[in-house]
Amino acid sequence: MQTPVFLDHLPDFETVAGEKPAKYRLTRNKALLELMLDCETVWTQRAACPACGQDLSRSCNFSQTLLEFRRCAGCNTIYAQRVPDQKVLDHLRLQIMRGEKPENPSKDREFEFTSLMNWVSLTEARLQRRLDTVVDIRFVSQAPGWPETTHRLSHNRKWDFLPLHPENNEFDDMRAYLARTAPSAVLMPAELDRVADPEALMQAIKQSVAPGTVIFIASSCADGLEYEVLGADSPSFIPLDRLTVFSIKGFQALSKKVGFSILEVSTPGRLDAVILDRYFKSTETTNIPFWSGFFREADSNRLRDLQILLQRSLKSGILRFVLEA
Amino acid sequence: MTLRVAIIGYGKMGRIRHEAMERHGGFQVVVACDTTICPDASCPMVTDPLAVYDYDPDVIVCSVPNKMIPEVVCTALARGKHVFSEKPPGRNSDDVRRMMVAEHAAGDRVLKFGFNHRVHDAIEEAKKLIDAGTMGELYFMRGVYGKAGGPNYAQNWRNDPAQSGGGILIDQGIHMLDLFQMFAGRFEDVQSFVQRNFWTDVPVEDNAFALMKTAKGIVASVHSSATQWQHTFRLELYLRNGFVSVDGILSASGSYGTEVLTVALNRLDEGGNPIPNPESQELRFTEDKSWDKEIAEFHDAVVENKPLCCGTSQQALDVMELVEAIYAADPEWSQTLQQHKLQADRVE
Repeated sequence: MQTPVFLDHLPDFETVAGEKPAKYRLTRNKALLELMLDCETVWTQRAACPACGQDLSRSCNFSQTLLEFRRCAGCNTIYAQRVPDQKVLDHLRLQIMRGEKPENPSKDREFEFTSLMNWVSLTEARLQRRLDTVVDIRFVSQAPGWPETTHRLSHNRKWDFLPLHPENNEFDDMRAYLARTAPSAVLMPAELDRVADPEALMQAIKQSVAPGTVIFIASSCADGLEYEVLGADSPSFIPLDRLTVFSIKGFQALSKKVGFSILEVSTPGRLDAVILDRYFKSTETTNIPFWSGFFREADSNRLRDLQILLQRSLKSGILRFVLEA
Repeated sequence: MTLRVAIIGYGKMGRIRHEAMERHGGFQVVVACDTTICPDASCPMVTDPLAVYDYDPDVIVCSVPNKMIPEVVCTALARGKHVFSEKPPGRNSDDVRRMMVAEHAAGDRVLKFGFNHRVHDAIEEAKKLIDAGTMGELYFMRGVYGKAGGPNYAQNWRNDPAQSGGGILIDQGIHMLDLFQMFAGRFEDVQSFVQRNFWTDVPVEDNAFALMKTAKGIVASVHSSATQWQHTFRLELYLRNGFVSVDGILSASGSYGTEVLTVALNRLDEGGNPIPNPESQELRFTEDKSWDKEIAEFHDAVVENKPLCCGTSQQALDVMELVEAIYAADPEWSQTLQQHKLQADRVE
């Protein structure tokens, strides 16, 4: 199993804390509160960690926007104690998308997508196996499809974006799509932490693709310094988008349980350092040993060094796995 | 099938090969030969190289100084033995040609040279990335390989040209040249500067700089140094769509650091132009498996008749011809070598 480190410039803090992200966070939290107030919303209670299966009673709890979360004592995964149906989540996502004005994606967002495409290309080369068709699953995220970028940078790969529409809890539409297209690779860059039942999603993929299909998964990572220090106070912790924040250990356990082979693990997150830097510089009364002083005196070089160290230590706020069916 | 092995030259390299063969399990070292009998050796020892044949070996592992390599290899092949020999393959290309004649005469006997850098994990990974085609056409390579001389530098046989055939370039730089040829093929044009600056007690170079070009136009530059006070291995390959580099190489001393492979694919703007400083991926390798891989390939070649990929006599000849071309391309150094040769001939 390989553990690559992804080195790039650090993004600007405004990508997570600017006006647009703040508005998005408010919209999502408003939607969550409305769900909670709606007597017809069906919630599924989780009795155990969705990653490693450890009993819920052995985890510590906290809440964000009135939704209760657990941090698993066994594998460090963070998860909401109850989740709405997948169809409800997808409807909420569609509502947001309908309300958005179409705009050109920023260079930073394109770089993120390019990073995913290059991840596929370089993995293909290392595996010495042609991954000529990719299905890009984004049914619960609003990430743009990037068809022009795909044409320019995918190295002549056929790249299909799974259309967004409400799914049932068994992900039947996705199963049908995968069965019909028989891709050599599946990319799922932002879904795992947002779905109601990540194990069901993983099972659906495993059962729908041919053996040997390579699965590229990215998600938020509970082992990241951002979540270790700030927990639910992190600006990126939006409850509806973080129903399950896997740890490395937790996602390894789930992948093996579902029957995938793990080829590669990494934590390529680039925001832990800038998020913590902003937090400590803006809250002068916070006093966490070592970290408060570290960030208040940090310049951009120190932040970059820290972020690379976090990546090398598998301790940044994003995880990536390459799995084989 | 277990192969009976005789190791001729039971110093550092001979013992490294012995350990690798024990780990493999398909070899039994039946005798070792060196100038003195080592009392703690785990196998019988002799001091006469020809005495090893009394033990009926299938394989001769040759870990002797460069000057003795051709004789040991040719004798072993003539006696019907498979041979695994250390690099460099003798002192010059004529030595390699002599061994190739013996190899040809020996029919199906295997002759492999230990150019282990080809099978270091980071190098193999780099080769995979390039062979896949995603990185595009290879444009140029840069290589730096150097160390800070070493203990007893002036007394070491490696720095006696009569024994070794040259200095740091033929001893260590040859690995980088072998890698260059693995990635790019043979070089046609060679320019060089060869120097002796610090280690002046011995008549061999302590620095060699070369600029080379293949028939296809791939350019490579190498710097091989015995005054690289900070031990360094760095290989960079720049291709149409990105770059690959390997920093550090795992060695017995550990002084070249861990192997770090860095690879990046360019990000293109809407006009198709590369945006500077692309995101790169870094992979670390911390375990040197090269000795085991070489021994495994040799075993497969002998037992299963599989063709060799690394360390063939043709590769050995190609790299020795390149070493000679680098020495010859610096007229001043070429003249210096000629003078030393004349002096040595007079002494003999």
